[in-house]
Amino acid sequence: VTRCAADLAEVEMAELYVKPGNKERGWNDPPQFSYGLQTQAGGLKRTPLTKRVAAPQDGSPRVPTSQTSPGLPPMGPPPPSSKTSRPPPVGSCPTSSVEPTNFSVTESETLLEDVLKPLEEALEDCRGHTKKQVCDDISRRLTLLQEQWAVGKLSVPVKKRMALLVQELSRHQWDAADDIHRSLMVDHVTEVSQWMVGVKRLIAEKRNLSSEEEANEEKSTATAEEDQMVPGVQEAP
Amino acid sequence: MMATYLEFIQQNEERDGVRFSWNVWPSSRLEATRMVVPLACLLTPLKERPDLPPVQYEPVLCSRPTCKAILNPLCQVDYRAKLWACNFCFQRNQFPPAYTGISEVNQPAELMPQFSTIEYVIQRGPPSPLIFLYVVDTCLEEDDLQALKESLQMSLSLLPPDALVGLITFGRMVQVHELSCEGISKSYVFRGTKDLTAKQIQDMLGLAKPAMPMQQARPGQPQEHPFISSRFLQPIHKIDMNLTDLLGELQRDPWPVTQGKRPLRSTGVALSIAVGLLEGTFPNMGARIMLFTGGPPTQGPGMVVGDELKVPIRSWHDIEKDNARFMKKAIKHYEMLANRTATNGHCIDIYACALDQTGLLEMKCCANITGGYMVMGDSFNTSLFKQTFQRIFSKDFNGDFRMAFGATLEVKTSRELKVAGAIGPCVSLNVKGPCVSENELGVGGTSHWKICGLDPTSTLGIYFEVVNQHNAPVPQGGRGAIQFVTQYQHSSTQRRIRVTTIARNWADAQSQLRHIEAAFDQEAAAVLMARLGVFRAESEEGPDVLRWLDRQLIRLCQKFGQYNKEDPTSFRLSDSFSLYPQFMFHLRRSPFLQVFNNSPDESSYYRHHFARQDLTQSLIMIQPILYSYSFHGPPEPVLLDSSSILADRILLMDTFFQIVIYLGETIAQWRKAGYQDMPEYENFKHLLQAPLDDAQEILQARFPMPRYINTEHGGSQARFLLSKVNPSQTHNNLYAWGQETGAPILTDDVSLQVFMDHLKKLAVSSAC
Repeated sequence: VTRCAADLAEVEMAELYVKPGNKERGWNDPPQFSYGLQTQAGGLKRTPLTKRVAAPQDGSPRVPTSQTSPGLPPMGPPPPSSKTSRPPPVGSCPTSSVEPTNFSVTESETLLEDVLKPLEEALEDCRGHTKKQVCDDISRRLTLLQEQWAVGKLSVPVKKRMALLVQELSRHQWDAADDIHRSLMVDHVTEVSQWMVGVKRLIAEKRNLSSEEEANEEKSTATAEEDQMVPGVQEAP
Repeated sequence: MMATYLEFIQQNEERDGVRFSWNVWPSSRLEATRMVVPLACLLTPLKERPDLPPVQYEPVLCSRPTCKAILNPLCQVDYRAKLWACNFCFQRNQFPPAYTGISEVNQPAELMPQFSTIEYVIQRGPPSPLIFLYVVDTCLEEDDLQALKESLQMSLSLLPPDALVGLITFGRMVQVHELSCEGISKSYVFRGTKDLTAKQIQDMLGLAKPAMPMQQARPGQPQEHPFISSRFLQPIHKIDMNLTDLLGELQRDPWPVTQGKRPLRSTGVALSIAVGLLEGTFPNMGARIMLFTGGPPTQGPGMVVGDELKVPIRSWHDIEKDNARFMKKAIKHYEMLANRTATNGHCIDIYACALDQTGLLEMKCCANITGGYMVMGDSFNTSLFKQTFQRIFSKDFNGDFRMAFGATLEVKTSRELKVAGAIGPCVSLNVKGPCVSENELGVGGTSHWKICGLDPTSTLGIYFEVVNQHNAPVPQGGRGAIQFVTQYQHSSTQRRIRVTTIARNWADAQSQLRHIEAAFDQEAAAVLMARLGVFRAESEEGPDVLRWLDRQLIRLCQKFGQYNKEDPTSFRLSDSFSLYPQFMFHLRRSPFLQVFNNSPDESSYYRHHFARQDLTQSLIMIQPILYSYSFHGPPEPVLLDSSSILADRILLMDTFFQIVIYLGETIAQWRKAGYQDMPEYENFKHLLQAPLDDAQEILQARFPMPRYINTEHGGSQARFLLSKVNPSQTHNNLYAWGQETGAPILTDDVSLQVFMDHLKKLAVSSAC
């Protein structure tokens, strides 16, 4: 059980992490945020740090509110934890406390065939509907995925997220699958760029196929789209 | 009173995306000029409004041909007669037939006061795709090229699947790649030394006629793709696999570069072909040309430096000495391209990653006047570039891309006002009319501007002139009105029109100066004056601009300060003006006006961002934000002053382009001693962490990614902090202070105190 929990944490880590920038190639290169952190940023705004203090009108600095210098000789220890309360960051919800969405991956190790087989099946479904050339192109990239996985070129986070992607694909959760594909392209482009586009295309083709099927089944109940009006407006055009 | 004005200002910014320098307007031309700071506003035309769903019908226009203002909450309505009076020209207009049902209790949204800003979706016309044309320099180091290729491949996953993409690569030659689904790649090769006309380019690429079908697509079938793409610009969902391979197979420019030489880089011709290609295929449709370059153009039209490495690229010194051989010609080339691009409604982004200069000074107009982005980094293999590039494709609360294209901004004013100009990522459309002032501030002589590329933060400074004569006062209680009409292509490909109509009270400056004064928005005023200053600095000598800014500041203090003549110690400014002098102090020291220590490319880069960001970000650029973290309470903003640098504090400074975390001397020693790892000093660990968390928050939202500097007392990088704070304590006056707090700065720069002393003396002097 503990093993599973650890694995789960690892999967989540693949989504939400910050890694240092490339200090060798850029001076003071900023840290790099994972796709997960970048895309969720919107909802969790803290108090922005935009306040300013007005200088006194003579331009001279105030004598700093100095509870400071006299009490603390340079190399004395910092006040121990019991005495002072912890200084909170300005905002109230630090990123570290963000609850990641739950993933339902329970395997301790992702197996190649668990990922590859559903992809190949999806491709088989598309054959006959999608141009042969496209199917062949996708197939070539699946082979590439297989080869790289087999020789150990793919990292654990990539494998785990591929397993999730395949799950979403088989559940027809196209947007979710596509989003995982995007997160892999953003976070692990070096590893996945050569073959991921095949997976991307497969998601798109499969989505088209199923929407065609649905359309055929449902026989389009004419959906006259209602004009979206601002509340309070009824009669105007 | 103050609190209510601050709320009023904030509310207006949130709702209408405007910040005016004055929120009560002086009622005559003469009085307005005596206010020193012009009546002007910062306008963020597409400010994000999650609470504002667009309406799915078209705006109602005033029927007077010279007016055509849009029906708005300020119009008087006769519900019985179904008439409305235009609040700009007083024309009486009949409502269109669809409005027959309106009454006092059944109003269309555009008449309700809360819809001073409203957005209309236009259903006419075919939807047009978004277009992205990548123009990629291959004269890069292996490591850089690899990183860039991966970023480009990655971007194909972030772009909308229906978007059209194209690829041009360049080095010594320029290659236009034909994209097909068939897996056979074909390209057209051009020499990089010869400029070609649009016609020649189009002939050579076989683009005889526009790719768009001339007939409009049938409405009601948005699922089909009503547009034919050219061979060079294809929908991503069709060619993603082949384009990924094509990018993956890109090689460094094969032409040998001998020792002591720069690679031959044909940026000028490559851009020219990109512009010509889009001009011939998709004029007036949203398109981005994205130039990725790793060095200066070294041959052909638009070259900035020769290929001899021993001759360095021009510096400010060379420019001053009129010793920049290629500069003027290069600027002319890129200006010609930029103007054509703007005419076509397209925009040009420049992503320049190299340690040395790449020619941004010469190429800047391409991004500046088309509303494109300018990004400057050291290498494509940095998080700074990679994440900045990713953020171009970020989405809003609706899942729509934060980018818009081909916008026209139209400004209408009531008759006591005229519009004098705009400063921002726009070009004039040269539309004269009754509300255009003869006096220009920024880009003037027009009431219409084109903004080819914009996002929800793109912000223009719009300047006005009060034209009402002194002896013809505005009636008591009268209001002046301005309407901003922004027509644009939304990233969902819809055409939309955003309309903002605002009004402010007129006041007689003789008897009601207090009202005008209290409604002064010093933050907006500082940014608007700074934009004017930077606009001048781009064409004039530095010292003249500083003198001009100083003169304006002195005059403002004379007008609004309270003092006894010839007595500097009596000088006071009211709360609504109290921050303004320090904004000007920091502006004078900023890289937007000081070129010392910056290359011409860096200056161009900083000024580019300054001319397009919103008020909050612009103000951070003028006067960086400084927060202090200590055991004595929650983090607090502190003076941007050397006295704030204390041994037991951690400072977090945001200059927009840099985020600096600085540990005071004691803090640094504690950290070195490892207290943060001892359980009993856990709070120290938290203290160290707090500014990191706050910095992360800024880093996650900022565009472009800033540099991130972690330093401490005595660290060599502490200079980034020391160069920004007010040098209140220097090696010259340290002992005069008789205090040991703060950090003396080794500088002969004037401090804020000296600056203020001079300012007061001049303000109270009757000689001025």
